Amino acid sequence: MDSLIAASARALAAGDALGALKRVALRDDPPALALRGIAMAQLGEHSRARELLRRAARGFGAHEELARARCLVAEAEVALAMRDLGGSPRSLAAAAATLDAHADHGNALQARLIAARKFLLLGRLDEAAATLAPLDARGLAPSLAAVAELTAAELALRSLRTGAAQAALARAHEAAERARVPALLAEVAEARAALSRPAARRRSAGGEETLRLDEVEALLGSDALVVDACRRGVGAGDAWRPLARRPVLFALARGLAEAWPGDVDREALIAYAFNTRHPDETLRARLRVEVGRLRALVAPLTGIEATARGFVLKPHGGREVAVLAPPIDGDQASLLALLSDGAAWSTSALALALGASQRTVQRALAELEAAGRVRAIGRARAQRWLSPPLTGFTTILLLPAALPIE
Amino acid sequence: MSTGSKAGKDQTPVTAHAAEIVREYGPLAGEASVGGVTHDGHRVWAATRDGLIAFDPVSGETTRTLACAGDAGTAFDGTHLYQITEARIDKIDPVTGTVVASIPAPGNGSDSGLTWAEGSLWVGQYRDRKIRQIDPATGAVLRTIESNRFVTGVTWVDGELWHGTWEGDESELRRINPESGAVLERLEMPRGTGVSGLESDGGDLFYCGGGGSGKVRAVRRPKAAARA
Repeated sequence: MDSLIAASARALAAGDALGALKRVALRDDPPALALRGIAMAQLGEHSRARELLRRAARGFGAHEELARARCLVAEAEVALAMRDLGGSPRSLAAAAATLDAHADHGNALQARLIAARKFLLLGRLDEAAATLAPLDARGLAPSLAAVAELTAAELALRSLRTGAAQAALARAHEAAERARVPALLAEVAEARAALSRPAARRRSAGGEETLRLDEVEALLGSDALVVDACRRGVGAGDAWRPLARRPVLFALARGLAEAWPGDVDREALIAYAFNTRHPDETLRARLRVEVGRLRALVAPLTGIEATARGFVLKPHGGREVAVLAPPIDGDQASLLALLSDGAAWSTSALALALGASQRTVQRALAELEAAGRVRAIGRARAQRWLSPPLTGFTTILLLPAALPIE
Repeated sequence: MSTGSKAGKDQTPVTAHAAEIVREYGPLAGEASVGGVTHDGHRVWAATRDGLIAFDPVSGETTRTLACAGDAGTAFDGTHLYQITEARIDKIDPVTGTVVASIPAPGNGSDSGLTWAEGSLWVGQYRDRKIRQIDPATGAVLRTIESNRFVTGVTWVDGELWHGTWEGDESELRRINPESGAVLERLEMPRGTGVSGLESDGGDLFYCGGGGSGKVRAVRRPKAAARA
């Protein structure tokens, strides 16, 4: 590299983005463009930064593929901070392979972390897990290690493995302290706070209590028969029957579970599941059919017996019955509970799961989106809804590690 | 940035020989990226982000550190050190570390590589692929030699002009015709071994800065008699 590039990089490494910019402001050769892009990103000028990094990547010659790959990674990082998730995962993977081939393992890992975070933000949890699994955070720069552990924690939380999430957050905290980046520490603290907030309520005939995430995990891991109104399904131990697409069956299961160990009379079940106060003979017949369907679906977990006035749950092996409900009532809370699995949901799937009209769901989603509590990706029919990440993923640009120069 | 007039320089291609690396020094200091090297007759000086570091080439021990930032090439005229920093060349007293004079660098900051010979400074212009001969008192450009590779170090020894080059993974030491820029001899460094800064010790060794590796490498200079 030449002297002003070195001086500019020296300023950037010392945290002086303006000083770095000043030294190369008027130059358009690729290393100068890359440094300008990184300085602009640190100053929060994301779209300008992206354009400069793109031009830098294009400007490096075919024999300078290492420098080009570093520019691609920096550009992807900026795009992630902008929440522009449109870029191709293939070019990022190719850049990571190039970096590995040149023994630049730090930047290669950063490229894969960006890919994993992108998959998480897109609700593609399996791909996020597959990208993250082979990464080894040990022996890395502390800030990179902290981001890797935060990403692992997010993934663990989405699949309700709070023990794994807590362990990852503890490692993230330790790495963030070593990195001495206040924004990273704040993100870890925020994610840890999310673990101790009420995540759900346990309702039964006797009343209700609030549960933290680890208590939810413990309940789902116990032998109890759980009717889960957050994820819309029925589970016991390892067995799980999703009912998100069967709102009537789910309403019946929930009605029966809330009355357990008592029974529920037919009129009440009809009113609850079919949303009407005027039961007639056709509805009674329909109730018999739907109960029959539910009975068949949950047969391995529990029996459903007819009583003189209605129906009662008879779980196998003397299991307890519990109902998990979102921490507060209302359409919005139910939507958030459904989205908390981190997957991407369509409006119609949400409406179906909640047994509400699409119009109602859209209204609730619009309010939640305005409050920043849900995110939409895609447009029109391809639009999908996601909860925002539990960990921020926003504030940290690790760009200095991606300097395109030796 | 100049990219033209490169074709034709390699019309009689010169076979590259593998550079014989005799010894490696360093990494010199914490996160020292070596920007330039020179030799004062006894010691090797390396310019790093944190300052100029002098070491004994026999023992490898660091013997002196001057707190002046070194962004690129370094040279020694028998009395003073010259150091490219930002867009200027500082003339430095090697005993006290004081900057006694400064002249503008000819490439206005795109400079990389510096040597002193025959009363002139010779400055490499990295991506411009040029070597400039300048007046060390005023900085006035006396001559321009065009290369066809990035110039990352310059040195004169026994009337031969050598320059270091480093593009991507490929780096070489090249002897060129000081009039035409034609390549006369090529020593190929192993892939990924960058060359930032080049200086002869006046004998049969070159010292090469190793860029981000923070190392300085000694490379054997081929004997004139052994050349084809």
